[in-house]
Amino acid sequence: MTVEKNSQRILSYTRDVMAGYPREQRFTLAMLQDIQKKYKYIPRESLEQLSDHLGVPLSKLYSIATFYKALSLQPKGDHVIRVCDGTACHIRSSMVIVDELAKILMIKPGETTSDGKFSLETVNCLGSCAMAPAMVIDETYYGKVTPSRTREILNEYGGVDCE
Amino acid sequence: MIITINGRQCEAEHGEFILDVALRNGIQIPTLCHSEALPGLASCRLCIVEVIENNWSKVVASCVYPITSEIEVVTHSEKIKRMRKTLLKLLGARAPQNAYVRKLLAEHEVTPAARFQGDPDENCIMCGLCVSACDKIGAGAISTVYRGIAKKVSTPYDEPSKTCIGCSACAGVCPTGAIKVQESHGKRIIWKKEFELLSCAVCGKPFITPEQIAYLKAKLNQEIDEILCETCKRKAAGERFAQTCADLTASKGLLR
Ligand code: SF4
Ligand code: FES
Repeated sequence: MTVEKNSQRILSYTRDVMAGYPREQRFTLAMLQDIQKKYKYIPRESLEQLSDHLGVPLSKLYSIATFYKALSLQPKGDHVIRVCDGTACHIRSSMVIVDELAKILMIKPGETTSDGKFSLETVNCLGSCAMAPAMVIDETYYGKVTPSRTREILNEYGGVDCE
Repeated sequence: MIITINGRQCEAEHGEFILDVALRNGIQIPTLCHSEALPGLASCRLCIVEVIENNWSKVVASCVYPITSEIEVVTHSEKIKRMRKTLLKLLGARAPQNAYVRKLLAEHEVTPAARFQGDPDENCIMCGLCVSACDKIGAGAISTVYRGIAKKVSTPYDEPSKTCIGCSACAGVCPTGAIKVQESHGKRIIWKKEFELLSCAVCGKPFITPEQIAYLKAKLNQEIDEILCETCKRKAAGERFAQTCADLTASKGLLR
C-alpha cells in the first residue's frame, strides 16, 4: 500500500468517526479513543483533521494525545501487554515479570517488537491488587503471574518468533 | 465584608482572591507565577498563606483562593515561612541556574539543596502563563504536553507551529525568561519558527512580524498604513495632542 493511499484511508476513517459524534469539543477524547483502537495509535492526519473539524487548536489535541496513557503517537503492537507496577504488584515482584517479558520480547517497556506483534508497558495500577502481580493483554487479565508462566501466556497470542 | 490580614482589617468583596485584597492594602505576599492579566495555574505556591476560620487553620494559595466569609489571614507565620523555604528549594531544584529563581532563593535566604541534581538547562517552572497568553491572543500555538516529570510546554510535534504569529507574547509573560527569542538581522526565531521582521516607519527599528500585522488587521478590521513601534506611536500621539492643544489655543483663545 502506498503512503498516499494509506493516508487517504486514515482520513476517511477519521471522517466516519467524527460523523458518529456531535460536533462538540467534549467528544474529543471519545473520538481519539476510537481512532486509537483502529490504528493502535493516533496518526497525525487524524489529529489535524479533528482540529479543523472541532475548531480546536492542534496544540490542544496534541496535549491530550500526549497526556493519556491510553493514547499513543507511535504505532503500538497488535497486542498490548500492560504489566501492573502498582504498590501491591511491585512488592510481589512485578519487575521480575517485566524483566522476563523484556527478555523474551527483546524490548524495553514502552517499546514495540520489530514484527509489530507486541507492545510492552508498565502501568501504575490495574485495580486488581488481590491477584498481584497482575498484567493485562489487550482486554484479558492475568493474575498471580510468575516468570515461568509468561511464555505460556504469550503463546496464547501466537508466541514470539523473533528469537 | 471585612477580613483580617496579619491583624489588619481589610475590605473585601465576595469571591475576591486573598492576594488581590492584600496587595490593595499594601501587604506584600511573595509570588512567582501570578499575573494580573492572565488566569494562573497557581503552580509555584509561593503565595501560600494561612487561613483561620472557626478555629481551624489551613494553608491555601492566596492567588487563587476566593474569599467567601470573614476569614483571618496570616501571611508570614513561622509555618508559612518554613513551607515557603521548602517550596523555594524545590523551585531551585527545578531550575537551578535560572537567574530569577536564584534571586528569589537569595531573597528568602534559602540555600539550594545539594541532594537535588536539577537540569542546568531547565528554566521553566510550568506555570502555564505562556500557554494562557497564546490562547488569549487566539493563536493557540503552544500547550503543555506529556505529563508528570516529562511535562513541558511545546508546539505540536515539537515543530514550528502553523498558527504561531511570532508575537513573542509568551516570552513576555514568562516569569523566569524561559522562552528563547532570537532576534538579529531583521529576523526573529521563536519556537523553532523563523519570522521576517518589519521596521518602524519612523525610527527604523525592526520589531513586528508580517503575521502579526495580518493578525492586527483582521482583529481591528481595518488597514494598517503606517507601522509604528510602541515608542514612536506614543511620541506621535503626544505630538498630536500638543498640536491639538496649540490649535485650540490659537483658534478659540483658550488656555490663556
Ligand atoms: S515557559 Fe515560562 S511562562 Fe511558560 S510555563 Fe514555563 S515558566 Fe511558565
Ligand atoms: S503566585 Fe500563587 S501559586 Fe504562584
